[in-house]
Amino acid sequence: MTIAVEAKKVIKDFGNVRALDGLSFTINAGEIFGLIGLNGAGKTTTLRIVSTLLLPTEGTITVFGHEVVNEADKVRNIISYLPEEAGAYKNLSGFEYLKFMAKFSTKDKNRIQELVDDAAEISGLGERLNDKVKGYSKGMKRRLLVARALMTKPKLAILDEPNSGLDVLHSVHVRNLIKKYAKEKGVTVLLSSHNMLEVEYLCDRVAIVNKGQVVIEGSPEKLKTKYKALNLEDVFGEVVGFA
Amino acid sequence: MLEGLMTIVIKEVKELARDPKILLSMIIVPLIMFPLMGFALQISMESAEQRIEETSIAIINQDQGTIALSFENYFSSFNFTITSLDDVSLDQAIVQTQDTNITNLIIIPEGFSQNITDGKTGSLTIYTPFEGGGGIASASQSSAISSILYSFRNYILDQRIKQGFPDANTTEILNPISYKDKSIVKGKATDVSPDTLFSLMMSQSIAMPAGIMALLIFAMQLAATAVASEKEEKTLETLLTMPINRTTILAGKLTGSIVVALVGSIAYIIGFMYYMNSFTGLIGTTNVDLVALGLAPTVESYAILGVSLFMALLSALALAISLSIFAEDVRGAQALVGPLSILFIIPMMFTMYTDINALPFPLSIILLAIPFTHSMLSTNVSFTGNYIGALGGIAYMAVFTIVVLFIASKLFGTEKILTAKLKFQRKIKTISRD
Repeated sequence: MTIAVEAKKVIKDFGNVRALDGLSFTINAGEIFGLIGLNGAGKTTTLRIVSTLLLPTEGTITVFGHEVVNEADKVRNIISYLPEEAGAYKNLSGFEYLKFMAKFSTKDKNRIQELVDDAAEISGLGERLNDKVKGYSKGMKRRLLVARALMTKPKLAILDEPNSGLDVLHSVHVRNLIKKYAKEKGVTVLLSSHNMLEVEYLCDRVAIVNKGQVVIEGSPEKLKTKYKALNLEDVFGEVVGFA
Repeated sequence: MLEGLMTIVIKEVKELARDPKILLSMIIVPLIMFPLMGFALQISMESAEQRIEETSIAIINQDQGTIALSFENYFSSFNFTITSLDDVSLDQAIVQTQDTNITNLIIIPEGFSQNITDGKTGSLTIYTPFEGGGGIASASQSSAISSILYSFRNYILDQRIKQGFPDANTTEILNPISYKDKSIVKGKATDVSPDTLFSLMMSQSIAMPAGIMALLIFAMQLAATAVASEKEEKTLETLLTMPINRTTILAGKLTGSIVVALVGSIAYIIGFMYYMNSFTGLIGTTNVDLVALGLAPTVESYAILGVSLFMALLSALALAISLSIFAEDVRGAQALVGPLSILFIIPMMFTMYTDINALPFPLSIILLAIPFTHSMLSTNVSFTGNYIGALGGIAYMAVFTIVVLFIASKLFGTEKILTAKLKFQRKIKTISRD
């Protein structure tokens, strides 16, 4: 099986603060892989390093065989990153924003239009895509951004809290969208979330991150069986030690 | 690379041009405010002219002598409404002046004509109702009366001189000495007075540096906004993970800011020209042949000025973008860039009021170390002919820009663009803890 992401003993220091402390995990191609953990556990730092935004202090991460530090350009060609607190250019319309982003993936005008059409369908925003982004609700903006992240059919989609700040309706829409799109298009997904139930529903495998390290890794079913737990929340409590 | 750059530039221009704040300062201020100011000025000038036409004078002639009567006739010849209040007491006349449209009340006292005939001073009293709020229009009425009195005074003077020296020329008697004011320009004598040349040079020395300063401050704010708004709107992280060279992103932001700043400065120039046009006719035009004097801006001097301005713009933008990397939001970026305006104001003040080379050596070195000084000095290159100095200034600005851009692209290429602020804050905290 092809390995999509391999993190080996990654350490990341911000001054005197150690955010990642020897973190390791492996994601297989085509998987939806979830990082779960408390605030400050190191989830976002991990995603930012995989996305080539931050440099690891020690250790290595490869994405489909490309090293994120030395081959950052190659990695950026095959990934798509959705930050937790992402925004879109408020003075552009939804369509203009998608077109702007699509132009980075291809120079072919027809292909750009195809990507934009795909994104329009994924977002489900319809005619509202003609409006300027500044008029969008939080949920609409997130749907636009998720559509942007998936439209290019990246080999790896990195989604930091994809349902961040969304109400139930928007959450369900985005969650179903990720699952459907990843399976249909063969996109590998690396996501982080606070919402254990969501992760359980979405992910093929998960890694519980605590204090900058992966404490345990496996499929939700396997973990639940191992800890004789009803759901991932209970597993998390057992592993991190607050249940 | 080029297509990626164009994509960024187009998006930058769209974003900046659609921002209501930028639109306001770029379009509303120059294209509406300047013409409005000019319009207000024209209206007040027209109303001043109207007020002069409406001038209505009341005269109490207590003298009734020959000169007093000819004085009254003299006023009548100027199309003013003249009301004679000879039968009314002074107190009544004052009340009447206040209550009616009379603009001036002139009292010709007894003995006025006799005093003048005897070679003494004939005194008049002029009352003007003070209403306040009249502005330029009220002042112009008073000055109209004064100039009529002055010309009547000259008429009396002429009569007196003719009595004493029947064969002499009054003008020559009044001006026993005369001189012609000429200048030497670039080793050649010319008929133009130094005052005229000085005022011409001043119009360039003041207007151009001030214009350059406004453009640079505007452009820097734009460039700082371009990076900081990406951080504030949380779009920077996404952009940095796109398959595009980071130097291209930086170049795109610089180019976008330059395009918008240039459009803004064109709007300023159009607005300002309209404003200045409101003055023509009021100030009068100077008919000096600058070409004949060798002082007209040549193609070379325009080219040097253009290149110099562009380099100043580029270095200002590079500086603003580098600094804005440390800011977390637009306000923070503008606060960081704001103090840089001192780098424009100081050279502007010095180029306006003095010759930088004539200053004490350490001070002139400090001023010349500020890159923007050179663009302001280049505005006078057609007067000074110092092309070598101007080219040196351009070279210096180019080196400065390259160094700053190099640092900016280094910062942009690393994770510092995302973490610089964290370290910046931590340092401040550490310092304050110590």
